[in-house]
Amino acid sequence: MRDPSHPGAESSAPGERGDPHFEVSLWPHRSLTETGLRWLIIGSCAAYAIPILAFFGTTAMLVLAALAAFHVWLLWFFIRRNTRALSLSETLRLWPDLITVERRDPRGRVRHWQANPYWVRLTLHKNARPENYLTLKGGGREIELGAFLSPDERVTLKEEIEREIRLLRPG
Amino acid sequence: MADAAVHSQHEDTRGFFTRWFMSTNHKDIGILYIFTAALVGFVAVAFTVYMRLELMEPGIQHMYLAYAADADSLRASFERLFADLAAASGTGAVHAQEALMALRDTLAASSANADGQIVIDGGLRDAVISAVEKAAGSAPSTVEASLIYGLGDTLDGDPNGHLWNVLITGHGILMMFFVVIPALFGGFGNYFMPLMIGAPDMAFPRMNNLSYWLYVCGSALAVASLLAPGGNGQTGSGVGWVLYAPLSTSEQGMSMDLAIFAVHVSGASSILGAINMITTFLNMRAPGMTLFKVPLFAWSIFVTGFLILFSLPVLAGAITMLLTDRNFGTAFFDPAGGGDPVLYQHLLWFFGHPEVYIIIVPGFGIISHVIATFSRKPVFGYLPMVWAMIAIGALGFVVWAHHMYTVQLSTTQQSYFMLATMVIAVPTGIKIFSWIATMWGGSIEFKTPMLWAFGFLFLFTFGGVTGIVLSQAAIDRALHDTYYVVAHFHYVMSLGAVFCIFAAIYYWIGKMSGRQYPEFLGKVHFWMMFVGSNITFFPQHFLGYQGKPRRYIDYPEQFALWNYVSSLGAFLSFASFLLFFYIIAYTLLRGAKVREPAYWGGHADTLEWTLPNPPPEHTFETLPTREMWDKAPEHWTAVKGPEESKISPAE
Repeated sequence: MRDPSHPGAESSAPGERGDPHFEVSLWPHRSLTETGLRWLIIGSCAAYAIPILAFFGTTAMLVLAALAAFHVWLLWFFIRRNTRALSLSETLRLWPDLITVERRDPRGRVRHWQANPYWVRLTLHKNARPENYLTLKGGGREIELGAFLSPDERVTLKEEIEREIRLLRPG
Repeated sequence: MADAAVHSQHEDTRGFFTRWFMSTNHKDIGILYIFTAALVGFVAVAFTVYMRLELMEPGIQHMYLAYAADADSLRASFERLFADLAAASGTGAVHAQEALMALRDTLAASSANADGQIVIDGGLRDAVISAVEKAAGSAPSTVEASLIYGLGDTLDGDPNGHLWNVLITGHGILMMFFVVIPALFGGFGNYFMPLMIGAPDMAFPRMNNLSYWLYVCGSALAVASLLAPGGNGQTGSGVGWVLYAPLSTSEQGMSMDLAIFAVHVSGASSILGAINMITTFLNMRAPGMTLFKVPLFAWSIFVTGFLILFSLPVLAGAITMLLTDRNFGTAFFDPAGGGDPVLYQHLLWFFGHPEVYIIIVPGFGIISHVIATFSRKPVFGYLPMVWAMIAIGALGFVVWAHHMYTVQLSTTQQSYFMLATMVIAVPTGIKIFSWIATMWGGSIEFKTPMLWAFGFLFLFTFGGVTGIVLSQAAIDRALHDTYYVVAHFHYVMSLGAVFCIFAAIYYWIGKMSGRQYPEFLGKVHFWMMFVGSNITFFPQHFLGYQGKPRRYIDYPEQFALWNYVSSLGAFLSFASFLLFFYIIAYTLLRGAKVREPAYWGGHADTLEWTLPNPPPEHTFETLPTREMWDKAPEHWTAVKGPEESKISPAE
């Protein structure tokens, strides 16, 4: 998440600059893990096995097997869909002369923003909705940061980014 | 990149149509579910009032097919009776001739319908019955009495058994599929499960809307089935809510097909709803809220979701096979074509037993919160409570054949299903005793929701005990299909699930509407319903022990007393139901406004109590922090030690 060991390189293009001075990734909260989903699907198959085994050898078994397969797939499909919908991320990288934010949307679209950290201004809108809305102004644009986090997390995030920017400043 | 967009305080600008007909908001959909279930519930309850009116006295009072004949054949019937009576008396005298002639003239002088037929119904039929009773009662010999009764039996028409069957079928289908599940799972589950886990909405709001409208479609199909052409040349189908083959494969008309479609559509609605709930519960819990920190009501909805997901496809398969048997010439269940009707019973009950837990498990969740709130103690044994619900759900899938001990299962099979069934008493007992332990040493306050919870606890336990009686294959041989069974399942469902619904309504109506119910009337409602439903169903145990079979329109007069008492109880319960509608109307229009978010005090500590009454359109858009929902430190510091409370909210 953060790697403060490198003070940054001299290259001008962001990709060739080397490791950033500071990097933070933000993503919305998801309470189900990949392991959890795997166990869910295994458990569902086991549950559907009960009627299939109970009706083994009858024509009803075929109907039940088809329906069971469909419903396991349905459950898996919807949970994956929901997980994908929650899978956006924002990555902020900081070099002495460049700050970038990269946002990956659920459908895979990647959007970039960049500015010079010297001129960047972070604003915490205390009474906004959502509460403690955090914006980053620079490069002629104002963007939101971590709108999906909890209000307290945004306060922490702001303090952390400001501290890192201060560390980069000479003197 | 998402450009910054600071929102000002958001006002609800949706119009009525947008809000209620195109709703994707879980709170609005929950309210829609509750109101629709109340409406359908009223229809299903009205059926029972009609049925209890008919059962109040032996004989047929209301559900008859009236006798119709033209004036000449009516006169001819009376002439034949007079001749027979003259022969029977031995002296040529005709007993009660004047009274019978007066009756004949009254009937013959009545106005005929367009076909020239005189229909003997209503007051005319009452006149026939009283005249016949009087004449036969004073007859000098039993031969003469039976001759008079013979004519009376013709003139008073025939019992309309089909109508009776349609009513019990309609009552069962509506209550099982369209009232209790939608109210508890669709209604309260939708409204409060996302709130309790701190989710902003359901995982799939538009699918939620689809579930609701599928439920409405299903209800409409079920009502249409009652009115569509069915068996016995009448409307509706009278095969029982279980739709047993071969009755259901041979019932005429489209009514049966409509009923099957109704169940199909409601099944699709429930399955989509269940997947929605499961996904929401698994993926959208607030940060830090691990599985075993989730409030019990949300857990109960989660368990119910799985019960629906695993059992309803089996029903869908069974009734699809039924549908092809009826319409496409297959013979899965129809013995006439080599099918196996018992296979249908197995499939139906593989769904049917989990179904009864689908109905009651959300109620378990509600009762846990209500009892903890009004005992001013955290619920006793949270973890055993959760595992008991999981165990009840899991065991529910392996006990189905205890509904069909009498279909020639082998003794070994019966023994297994009997023991497996009895095992369910263990997790159920854990729950009952945990609720009692929650109250133990608590500061109990008898507000209306707590009264309902108390009523539930006492009566559900009672119904559970008769369940243990019925679970024994040997005893079930005698009690199968008697009123004992009717009493048993109404104790667990009418007095169990329905009491949970009322407890939930009184507990949360202030939260949902922003207005509080009138406490005194709420208590009156409880006592009327408690007394009424006990008077209704307790005597049915006696009838069952006396051997009165279920599903019949009439009974020998030896059963008259307890049927009469039972009917009185039903009317009292119905009166309480009407009072309930008044209370709801009064609350919504005139009730005192409640501003305090946690108006039941500090032990109602789940997340919905942090929100205003009613909650705004959008809730928890920014996720709640741990100290908002994790009240464990406050309640349990002494037990768990202080390290629990040091976890930072941002973790």
